[in-house]
Amino acid sequence: MTDTFFILIDRSEGSLQRLIGLVERRGFHIDRMNVADAGAHREVRLAVRGRDSGRCVDVLGRQIDRLIGARRVSPAASATYVEEVAVCTA
Amino acid sequence: MSAAASPMPKPAQEPAPRSGARLLVEALDAQGVEFVFGYPGGAIMPVYDAITSARFKHILVRHEQGAAFAADAYARVTGKPGVCMATSGPGATNLVTGIANAMMDSAPLVCITGNVASPLMGTDAFQEIDILGVTLPIVKHSWIARDPADVPAIVAEAFHVAASGRPGPVLIDLPKDVQIAMTRAPHSFAPPRDPPRRIDPGQLRRAEAAIGLAERPLLYIGGGVRLADAVDEVRAFARATGIPAVSTLQGLGALHADSAAHLGMMGMHGSRAANEAVQACDLLIVLGARFDDRATGKLAEFAPHARVLHIDVDAAEIGKLRAADIAIAGDLKSVLAVLSPRAPNIGAWMERCQRDAAHYAPRYDAPGEGVYAPALLKDLSEAAGDAFVAACDVGQHQMWAAQHCRFASPFAHLTSGGLGAMGYGLPAGLGAKLARPEAHVVTISGDGSFIMNIQELATLKRYGIALKIVLLDNSSLGLVRQWQELFFDKNFSEVDLSDNPDFVAVAQAFGIEAFRISRREEVSAGIARLLAAPGPCLAHVLIDARENVWPLVPPGKSNSDMMHGEP
Repeated sequence: MTDTFFILIDRSEGSLQRLIGLVERRGFHIDRMNVADAGAHREVRLAVRGRDSGRCVDVLGRQIDRLIGARRVSPAASATYVEEVAVCTA
Repeated sequence: MSAAASPMPKPAQEPAPRSGARLLVEALDAQGVEFVFGYPGGAIMPVYDAITSARFKHILVRHEQGAAFAADAYARVTGKPGVCMATSGPGATNLVTGIANAMMDSAPLVCITGNVASPLMGTDAFQEIDILGVTLPIVKHSWIARDPADVPAIVAEAFHVAASGRPGPVLIDLPKDVQIAMTRAPHSFAPPRDPPRRIDPGQLRRAEAAIGLAERPLLYIGGGVRLADAVDEVRAFARATGIPAVSTLQGLGALHADSAAHLGMMGMHGSRAANEAVQACDLLIVLGARFDDRATGKLAEFAPHARVLHIDVDAAEIGKLRAADIAIAGDLKSVLAVLSPRAPNIGAWMERCQRDAAHYAPRYDAPGEGVYAPALLKDLSEAAGDAFVAACDVGQHQMWAAQHCRFASPFAHLTSGGLGAMGYGLPAGLGAKLARPEAHVVTISGDGSFIMNIQELATLKRYGIALKIVLLDNSSLGLVRQWQELFFDKNFSEVDLSDNPDFVAVAQAFGIEAFRISRREEVSAGIARLLAAPGPCLAHVLIDARENVWPLVPPGKSNSDMMHGEP
């Protein structure tokens, strides 16, 4: 199953590598990727798929949120993520 | 050219021109940096030219890995970012293990590297390495300064990122031309500010209800308690609720070792009482911990009866390995200040936990004349008292220290937990002793680990750093040997170190006081001599290579399946 992230990242050196490296390191394939210029930022669309069943896309989203200079637009970060967590580790 | 014809308006007070290197030094001073641990080289010479007038003190180590570990330990005992510095290429790559260590254990570390001049970057120039690329997976964030005018803001942001939220290492790469170039641009050393984070009141109320109703609640205390400076809050919470507690390797000391509610360390080399409490509890209250595999054992069988209440500043840790039934993402200190459940009615549970703790308490009456390392470490920590700070290396001695030393606070136990980096102990002890000169800082090392950064004895000598060293020598790579004995049919492969150098003579050659003990009756005088030594001092302690670390959860097994040895 593929999930698609839409992320704004700043244009600083290494920001794209940082994002892609994180996704692969955390156990996801990148099936499609689209990068577009958006003024001060870059818009990145990433379609990702877990390498095995133990990979939780909600956790990946929160790991992306941790990156300095990156902002996840969708899927939106949930304020109360307990329910999502329960689903992906069931 | 019209642009040249219309001059830019000048600020009323234009700053005097400064180089990027000078701005770096001023920015570090503006951060209140006390020590920078580093080693010069070609690509960072303009910075070394500028630091001779710095307010901070530069500590010249003898290997860049030592600089990173020393700065990491400084950060762990003070809570302030530690700073290390190296040149490009090999200097920068020598920092890598230290950066990874800081990342795994969430230590705030600011690393500054020189690089070749910008036009040479990307050309495989002499001592050129893409250190930003190399370190991307092991930093919280990193920057290449391309303009000297950006240096003050980058440094201010770097310190803020390193220390805020969940701390971690950051890297600033400074090409040589940027260090040299002059700028008149106005600059500010002011750090950025994060908006305060809101704690979800709904989750707070759910947490309080769950705690109040629990029959067998248990606190699972991690390194986040130290990082959040929440030791007082955790102690108050444990006291108010009467809930027993277990600690991870990094959480040791958060509850006072003398506390009856503390059942000891959990996990692979944890106490049986701690592991059994986890397996039996019905509510696991996780305070700043991340379900590391060495703590949980086989995850699918970990705490099988427990609902999980997970409190951590890093939302990405929640649900990563174990689903949280109730989750609070927020600063532990702030959360505990407002979390006030009614005390659960758990007299029978506490009694059971304490009965187990007494029943499975370690014994120190091993037969024989030789030095029994667990007893020595216990006695050492008790002799040093609340001023004791241990900087451990990695191996059997590290686990014995965790099991048997008494730590007055989590700031008193420095150990490479996540990365498990041999060679941490000596430079970490050095950094910790500089940070806390009044404390009894003791490096607890083994003969395998010690030799990995043995060159830092020269740094102790140079600055007269009164670090004490206990070198437990079993002439082997003990923990690997133990696993080969237990899990590889005693096929002892490449673990014999019986041709070690004479460590007393080596230390003395560096100008460090050193002595050797090998019999149990020599231990108490040895500890007294070590702690009383006015300068750096090494106690070389010969121990039996057949001693193992017990108890032990075999790799991949549940924490219910602990192996026990002798005694």
